Amino acid sequence: MSTATEPSTPQPVRSTTGLTFWSAVRTVFSLEMRQRLRGKGWYWMLGIWFVVIGFIFVLATGVLGTTDNEGGILFDLVVGFVLLFGLLIAPGLSANAVNGDRAGGTLAILQVTLLTPGQLLTGKWLASWVGSLAFLVLSCPFIFWALALGGVNAQEAIVSLLMLAVELGVVCAIGVGVSALANRPLFSIVSTYMLVALLAIGTVIVFGLSTTLVMEERTMTTSYYTYPESSLDATGTPDPGAEMECVTQTSQGMIPRTEYIAWLLAANPFVVVADAVPYSVEDLPELDPATDAAGLPQGGPYYTPGIMETISQGVRAAQAGPDVEQSCEELAESLRPLPQETPIWPLGLGLQLLLAGVLLLIGRRRLTMPAKRLAQGTRIA
Amino acid sequence: MTNERGGIVVEGVARSFGSVQAVRDIDFEAPPGEVTALIGPNGSGKTTLMLMMASLLAPDRGTVRVAGFDPVTQPAQVRSRVGWMPDTLGVWESLTALEVLTTIGALYGMGAADRSRRAEELLVAVNLTEFGRRPARVLSRGQQQRLSLARALIHDPEVLLLDEPASGLDPGSRVELRSLLRSLAAGGKTVVVSSHVLSELDEIADRAVFVSRGQSVKSQTLDEAGSQMRRYYVQAEPMSALAAALQSYGVRYETRGDSRREEFLVQLGSTAEASWLLRTLVLGDVVVTAFAPAGGALEETYMSLDTDRR
Repeated sequence: MSTATEPSTPQPVRSTTGLTFWSAVRTVFSLEMRQRLRGKGWYWMLGIWFVVIGFIFVLATGVLGTTDNEGGILFDLVVGFVLLFGLLIAPGLSANAVNGDRAGGTLAILQVTLLTPGQLLTGKWLASWVGSLAFLVLSCPFIFWALALGGVNAQEAIVSLLMLAVELGVVCAIGVGVSALANRPLFSIVSTYMLVALLAIGTVIVFGLSTTLVMEERTMTTSYYTYPESSLDATGTPDPGAEMECVTQTSQGMIPRTEYIAWLLAANPFVVVADAVPYSVEDLPELDPATDAAGLPQGGPYYTPGIMETISQGVRAAQAGPDVEQSCEELAESLRPLPQETPIWPLGLGLQLLLAGVLLLIGRRRLTMPAKRLAQGTRIA
Repeated sequence: MTNERGGIVVEGVARSFGSVQAVRDIDFEAPPGEVTALIGPNGSGKTTLMLMMASLLAPDRGTVRVAGFDPVTQPAQVRSRVGWMPDTLGVWESLTALEVLTTIGALYGMGAADRSRRAEELLVAVNLTEFGRRPARVLSRGQQQRLSLARALIHDPEVLLLDEPASGLDPGSRVELRSLLRSLAAGGKTVVVSSHVLSELDEIADRAVFVSRGQSVKSQTLDEAGSQMRRYYVQAEPMSALAAALQSYGVRYETRGDSRREEFLVQLGSTAEASWLLRTLVLGDVVVTAFAPAGGALEETYMSLDTDRR
């Protein structure tokens, strides 16, 4: 504070009074990224992530060595794991964005500038999203490795990665929103984990419990292959060379009409990703009407879907509801992957965006200064 | 003095947090070109008032005008004209001092060239040039305090709100702070300083507003404060001679209890009275070894407002 070099007051310093939206967002973004890039925590997390994904990948490669569709299953596995770990990491990167600054005493310093709460939240969200996308980028070696094994088409791969990125963005938005609402970083991180668990596990539990609500007594027609009574000997063993035949049976029973409650699963991040990916069911070999020695249709489809594709199939089955009239022709068809009827992921993504949007809007109101109300126990500075 | 275009005028503001009434009724005025001190005990509502003037907190009642604008309805106008230095030190630890300043400059809408020139200039002004390119975590408390001051000045604000700016500063930095604030006031800025270091404020401030229990209890200029009744302490060798002399002139005195040295405190109405007493004592052959005001002018006012020192 030497007197010789006073800040030159007569000279107007302020050349522009306005602060454009994107330059404010860019400033907050670079402020956040600089801190992240200069800290150690993020690099440690990236390192652990790489090791874990690599370990799982190598392990899976060993186990799946003999399976056909190896590339597809491995790709699906990596996507599933990146999503699972992403859901675990994104709240950690985002849910202390605002209240961490409050605890550090830097939030109020930003709030007295021309920065608006919307710009602050946008910048923080972008920074945490980019931070979590780095984890996706780091998984790329394994994704490309799986792709190199074949069995996955380009569209499937691109949509998978895109949806992973979108889901990470949604979780980061939820985290930033919660961090603007909650006073303490620990509380907001835990709350964000709870919200993510609600989406990823809660939806499945609610769906499972709700099946009891949609039970209906229906007459069901089911078909199955069995050996004819005449070909069985006294011990119940079929004669060699006996042919299986299709038997159609009608029964009364309670069945869950899952088509009414399938939407409950929509907001699940795994469902959103799995449902959006166009798995190539058309490429599978056509069914041979003739049956093989075991009585099953020849020519496949002995197709093993990966984890995400299984989720996709499960959701489609839930959407279709139980088949109350299953003929022998349909029985063979039922072994094929279900085609997509109504995409459910736009609904799910919509619900997730609604949740994130509401949280961010309330957070924005909370950050608007001058403050009328303050949460109990908070200090502005 | 204060008009629609500059300075701060606060009238009858109140603000409570839940059941705690932090500010009950404060009137406050800070004209441009002067340094106004905001003085009060801990928890008297100083920081709350600062937050209301900095457009971070809305008053429940009353009006606030900062540089002619209302912080509640025109926050952007106020923010572009106010530099605020909080009493808490918020530091982005991994950022360099220069980056902290340019980032805040950018958030005030300053151009890239503008803000880096201004940042370099301010680092010189607060004596932090050698730390410009080092992360802020290596700064000591006093250095962070100086960085915080530079940050508040980055957009060349008309109004400067400083909450406890001198705390943590070494004596040298205090002197520099004092001359910096005086020169800002001389340049026409409105400067508000809250502090407990009353002897510091004596030399910096032109006027003072005293708050206590959320109320403004007194407002005076330093000239007024200087001409009021104040206490002097007197020492002599031996003290018994001094006691006898004071008794013979009819001057009431008490023995100062809060000091290590033995000395008497006398209450005198003006500087003329003080010089009369000193002259009389010396001419009366009392060996006076010390004769000085017991505290600064503001401290006298502060102590006389014994409204709530619990």
